Amino acid sequence: MSQDTKKPGVKRREFLKVLGATSAAVAAAGCSEETGKLIPYLVSPDQTVPGVSTYYATTCRECSAACGLIAETRDGRAIKLEGNPDHPVNHGALCARGQSALQGLYNPDRFRSPMVNEGGAWKVITWDDAITRLSQGITQTRGANRAGGAVFINQHESGSFPRFLDTWLAGFGMPPHLSVDFESDAAAIEANRRTYGVAWPSLSFKDAKIIVSFGADFLDSWGANVPQQLDFADARARLDGAPRFVYIGPRRSLTGLNADEWIACKPGGELAIANALAGKGSIQQAATDAGVDQAALQALATELAANKPALVLSGVSGESALDVALAVAAINQASGAVGVTIKPAQPLTGFEGIAHTDQLLGAVERMRAGQVSVAFVRGVNPAYHLPKASNFADAFAKVPLRVSFSSFPDETTELCNLIIPDLHSLESWGDAEPIRGTIALQQPVMDPVFPTNSKTIPVAPGTADVLIQVAKKDATVASKFGAPDYRATLIAGFPGGAQALGAALPKGLAAGTIPARTLAAAPAVAPKTTSIASTQGEFFLITYPSPLLGDGRGANKPWLQELPDPVTKVSWSSWIEIHPETAQRLGIDRGDILEVKTANGTVRAPAFPYLGVHKDAIAIPFGRGHRAAHAMPMFDPKTHTVGEVQWGYGRYARDLGINAFDLLPVGTHAAGGFIWTATKASVSKTGDNEALPSTEGSARQHGRGIAQAVNAADLNKPGAGEGGEAKEALPGDASHAFLPGLRSPVAADAQGDLGAPTAADQGKNKGLYREDDIRGMAKRRWAMTIDLARCTGCSACITACNAENNVPTVGAFWQNATIYADQKPGFNITRGREMTWIRLERYFEGNPDGKFGQDFETRFVPMLCQHCGNAPCEPVCPVYATYHAPDGLNVQVYNRCVGTRYCSNNCPYKVRYFNWFGYGEVDRKQYAFPEPLNWQLNPDVTVRGKGVMEKCSFCVQRIREAENRATLEHRELQPDEFTVACAQGCPSRAITFGDAADPNWTVAQLANDKRAYHVFEELNTYTAVVYLKKVNHPAAGATAPRA
Amino acid sequence: MATTATPLPGGQRPNIPSAAVRFPAIKTYDQVDREIAGTLGPSLGWFGALGIAILCMLIGATAWTYQIHEGLGAAGYQPPVMWGVYIVTFVFWVGIGHAGTLISAILYLFRAGFRTSIYRASEAMTVFAVMTAGLFPILHLGRPWKFFWLIPYPNWRLIWPNPKSPLVWDVFAILTYLTISSTFLYIGLIPDIAILRDREKNPIRKAILSQLSLGWRNSDREWRHFTRAYLFLAAFATPLVLSVHSVVSFDFAMALTPGWHATIFPPYFVAGAIFSGIGMVFTIAIPLRKAFKLEHYITLNDLDAAAKLCLFTSSVVGLAYLTEFQVAWMSGNRFEQDYFWNRVFGQWAWAAWIMLICNVVLPLSLWSQKLRRNPAWLFILSLFINLGMWFERFVIVVPSLSHEFEPWQWGTYRPTWVDYSILLGSFGWFFMWFLLFIKQLPVMAMAEIKEVILPPMRRRRDFSHDLTQGVVDPDETGATH
Repeated sequence: MSQDTKKPGVKRREFLKVLGATSAAVAAAGCSEETGKLIPYLVSPDQTVPGVSTYYATTCRECSAACGLIAETRDGRAIKLEGNPDHPVNHGALCARGQSALQGLYNPDRFRSPMVNEGGAWKVITWDDAITRLSQGITQTRGANRAGGAVFINQHESGSFPRFLDTWLAGFGMPPHLSVDFESDAAAIEANRRTYGVAWPSLSFKDAKIIVSFGADFLDSWGANVPQQLDFADARARLDGAPRFVYIGPRRSLTGLNADEWIACKPGGELAIANALAGKGSIQQAATDAGVDQAALQALATELAANKPALVLSGVSGESALDVALAVAAINQASGAVGVTIKPAQPLTGFEGIAHTDQLLGAVERMRAGQVSVAFVRGVNPAYHLPKASNFADAFAKVPLRVSFSSFPDETTELCNLIIPDLHSLESWGDAEPIRGTIALQQPVMDPVFPTNSKTIPVAPGTADVLIQVAKKDATVASKFGAPDYRATLIAGFPGGAQALGAALPKGLAAGTIPARTLAAAPAVAPKTTSIASTQGEFFLITYPSPLLGDGRGANKPWLQELPDPVTKVSWSSWIEIHPETAQRLGIDRGDILEVKTANGTVRAPAFPYLGVHKDAIAIPFGRGHRAAHAMPMFDPKTHTVGEVQWGYGRYARDLGINAFDLLPVGTHAAGGFIWTATKASVSKTGDNEALPSTEGSARQHGRGIAQAVNAADLNKPGAGEGGEAKEALPGDASHAFLPGLRSPVAADAQGDLGAPTAADQGKNKGLYREDDIRGMAKRRWAMTIDLARCTGCSACITACNAENNVPTVGAFWQNATIYADQKPGFNITRGREMTWIRLERYFEGNPDGKFGQDFETRFVPMLCQHCGNAPCEPVCPVYATYHAPDGLNVQVYNRCVGTRYCSNNCPYKVRYFNWFGYGEVDRKQYAFPEPLNWQLNPDVTVRGKGVMEKCSFCVQRIREAENRATLEHRELQPDEFTVACAQGCPSRAITFGDAADPNWTVAQLANDKRAYHVFEELNTYTAVVYLKKVNHPAAGATAPRA
Repeated sequence: MATTATPLPGGQRPNIPSAAVRFPAIKTYDQVDREIAGTLGPSLGWFGALGIAILCMLIGATAWTYQIHEGLGAAGYQPPVMWGVYIVTFVFWVGIGHAGTLISAILYLFRAGFRTSIYRASEAMTVFAVMTAGLFPILHLGRPWKFFWLIPYPNWRLIWPNPKSPLVWDVFAILTYLTISSTFLYIGLIPDIAILRDREKNPIRKAILSQLSLGWRNSDREWRHFTRAYLFLAAFATPLVLSVHSVVSFDFAMALTPGWHATIFPPYFVAGAIFSGIGMVFTIAIPLRKAFKLEHYITLNDLDAAAKLCLFTSSVVGLAYLTEFQVAWMSGNRFEQDYFWNRVFGQWAWAAWIMLICNVVLPLSLWSQKLRRNPAWLFILSLFINLGMWFERFVIVVPSLSHEFEPWQWGTYRPTWVDYSILLGSFGWFFMWFLLFIKQLPVMAMAEIKEVILPPMRRRRDFSHDLTQGVVDPDETGATH
């Protein structure tokens, strides 16, 4: 062994040392402080199966009605909302706003943590800090003996919370809160209270022999629209036994479009008509005062007298609102409606205890006088809703401590100095009493979306919990709040305690009542208003809540922004409705930017000629026009940092449209409610024109028989099924007899004529498909019926489909190309690139010479992929991306589609939609689901990338899920065991889905109804969607408009 | 049959000279070689033109790259108009190719003499037009990187393209057409490449040309095989003129869209294709004639004959328009009638009238022989024909889609800068290839021209009559007719 030889390279010992050290270093680096979360559950709760959804019952808080929800959650995330079938108010249906609650829960602009405004700059603080600050602020106020001047403005809700809140306020020496609901009809509520003793009796349309509405838009946002729509649709489904519906008002809303007759009176004329119909005044005088046709009014009076009981509703919003409502109550009483069509014994208690605008204005005046020491705002947005003329911002600024519990960066929140965001209703505990005698429970369906930033508070708290924490910090109040959190409070107050609550939670319902707040009697209100007649302008200005956005709450939910308004079919934009003859006279075209001026303000918006507005009026919806108080840069998804607050109500809502409240004066009527039709306005052209983002191509059918109708009187005549309206008989037409299985004898699809009754073997041969396959695909024919007599055009089906099938919204202004392309909201809609798989077509009928009078009829047609037995789209796809499944579905294979779009060219219904940009691709500017909106995506449905075609799949994921479940349980699929998303949500129950080849399913029976027809039958497409003709009830002696 | 042509008194219309005296100004074979092979080799003007063509192509390529990255939403598509400028341009370019094959193959079979000077350029135009057209089915796809799924190749998923789909038929038709046309062009070029090889001094180019000319030795035997092969290919290419554009027309005729679903489409398209192709031949040949000083080759008689063909096809196209109108009117089909009215008098009236004026009205000027023999007018008219035929395809594609069965979905169409850039790029691509061709390979078929001029004779004095004697070459007299 030589001493001076050194082995070259690394010695073994050193190598092992180094290896050991680096391994330790790497392992140590892996154990860093930051842990990322890979999957929602490491240890899932009991009874959850990966890939199978868990359902929780809760309550919807999108409006005051408090309908019941079943929330479908998957892996700890809520992905879909359905109505609760056992709930006495909505019976399993859900409106578009309820479906969109998910986009509120996952809204990317929600506050993630509390914030405080120090010296004009907003700073994020921890929950502890927020609670401490709030506590200190209140202590300070009490110390200065100013607690009596506090104001708490809460978004009206029913349940235990109002009482809880009052107890809390009283503990600190503060007066009871104001429970505000801007959509509520104060006049109707006051009249109900005076007449029946309750704020809102249940209404029964089914039991009425005639329905008359004075501007009460019960299908839009007046009252509780879901139960009203359910009942109304059931009433109309009686066909020839259905009550006629007459709508009286200056603007034909969605509710008005569903009426058999519209009496277009000028704003303010309703009082004369109501009095005349109640017997106080002559019909002739009323006709002159209101500017309506005397004969029509006389006919209505006669009809009312002959058809008892009637249901007459009042939803007028003018200075005489209360008088009209009282007159209407008199008509109802005379008609024997009480107890039959109006049920005070079953009131919707959700409308009790609403503080109307006059009380809110009183509070604002107190603020202005410096009498208010601390103001709390929760869920309501007075800075937006109160007109500019009320100068709310100035008054509010005088309050030293302004606390907002709002979750969204709305206009009021921006004026506050402390933000403690509430949890969303889907993340919180609560309860409601939607109808007297039933308690509806509200439970969190998932953990809060945004984690807590506090080390001592493990889960982000809701407002109730925050209030309890604040109470506990004060020795005197803490005694009243022994429970650790709001959940415990609820349990303590629930009849039967924790056990009963636990037993009630799966259905979400329990019998019982919740004690109401004890409120001092509201003082009599003197109306503060100037008469509309004394205002300047040549047009009456009608403003109304948008049926989708409500009073503005839905503006940052892209589903609701993109849903075309049910009446005008415009999305992502404000508009000014004007009568077509007036427009012609003034030289105004559709889309011309008009300037509307009142004594209070000026706005500019595109014109929308609409035949459903009075000749002397213009109409503007409110809900859009949100602004940030200070200038903000335009939103850019590429440079936006997460958590950067999008003031002005969020990225989708900011600077979009106009705020109609800017034009209105501050005025309340005799019942204390805000007057929406309060002023006249002058209109002038600016010379600009802007294409309205609308999905409407032509509003007329041009005789194509897409939406067919039959008069009630002709229903039982022979030939009503085939006749009704003339149909083109084209040469070469195949037989139109409805095949029970809806299989086309000429279809050359995967199954050929297998299963068709006209085949030689009468459909018994299953060919290649295994006869013993328990799912029996080859024997099914999935089909759908849509009853146009029921459909009211509410668009709930569209939102349900969007939620279920991951359909992207495309109207945000950044969802356009990058280089040299318009960045305008709704641009893609202007380009016809909407993506909704089901759309509502709205066709007007009547007056074919184009001069529209008030005698026009509207037909709503939900149009979706017809899953044709002889589909034109299938043979032309070069790569077999669309083919016919053996159970009758027209299948679209996203991964195979190369995007030639020939299928869409060949589809006569134009129900195929193309992904023009990467709406479903995360790293693209046009991505439609910014975090955390993508939490809502349904894992059972592919998220489509750029360049592929998509269309309605008849919710194939639900079909397969049901079939798989039946297979696993070794049984057959039961008839009507499941249904598709649009059918499930529809509050009109217009859509029925199922297996038309099996006579036990409802759809098979409905498809053979005498009113049934296929759209474009002459093209021999053999559609699986069967429409049932609308039934019209024209006035006696009138001729119904022909198609 | 060769007869002596007697000179006519000035001012009267001359006969079309017989084949034996087709090119009276061209006397020797060497003149042919010198003048035509002499057009090869770059010039400043050519560089300028090529530069512009490449620039246009690059604009198109940039727009296409952007479109692939961003999505088809960058183009002007507006549902229900799901096909727009790209499909219009696709059909436009495929149509142009047909005239080339008609001239080189069908007119060869008919022994039409006037084809000789223009058929090489037309055949090249066909190949490049089909190459251009072939880009568009890929370009208009939502997922163009998957375009190869339309080609039937064996794959482990056992999925084939759908043989019922007209788009798959297009794939076969275009590929077949491209293959046959390039083969036909190449085979016809062999003797000319041999001529160039023999004249070439540069050793590298000579080696390349030797390979390309396949060892052509101008022997009798080779000529016999060559004419057989050429005849066979011409016969093979002939039915393609009718079938390829018929198959392209099936893209429309096989759909049930109002306005597309008509049996008139195959003959209508084929006639339109030939018509548009002749237009493009004029657009190319007339400036070429001027720039290369080839007026003796592409004579006024040739232009006259081609113009007559142009007039004939224009009439067929005009008749097809009338048929469409009549079919829509008498069909009693509400959808068809509404669509037609909207196309001609409604939303798309402007496009329909551009089409009618350019394709039917302006070519009526070709009834006048004076105008048929006026190269300047022919060139201007050809630009209008190109415009009109592009608009014809536009009027077929867009108005039908915008006004179909469902009134709720009626819409319009507005192309964006991406559409226009790619349209420009297609012209750039086409002209780039064509410009490269005319400087590398002879723009005219030297061998065939030599077939029709007088053969070189050893001893002139034995020749009893000079067939060219007394024939007036109209180009040389300067007489205006």
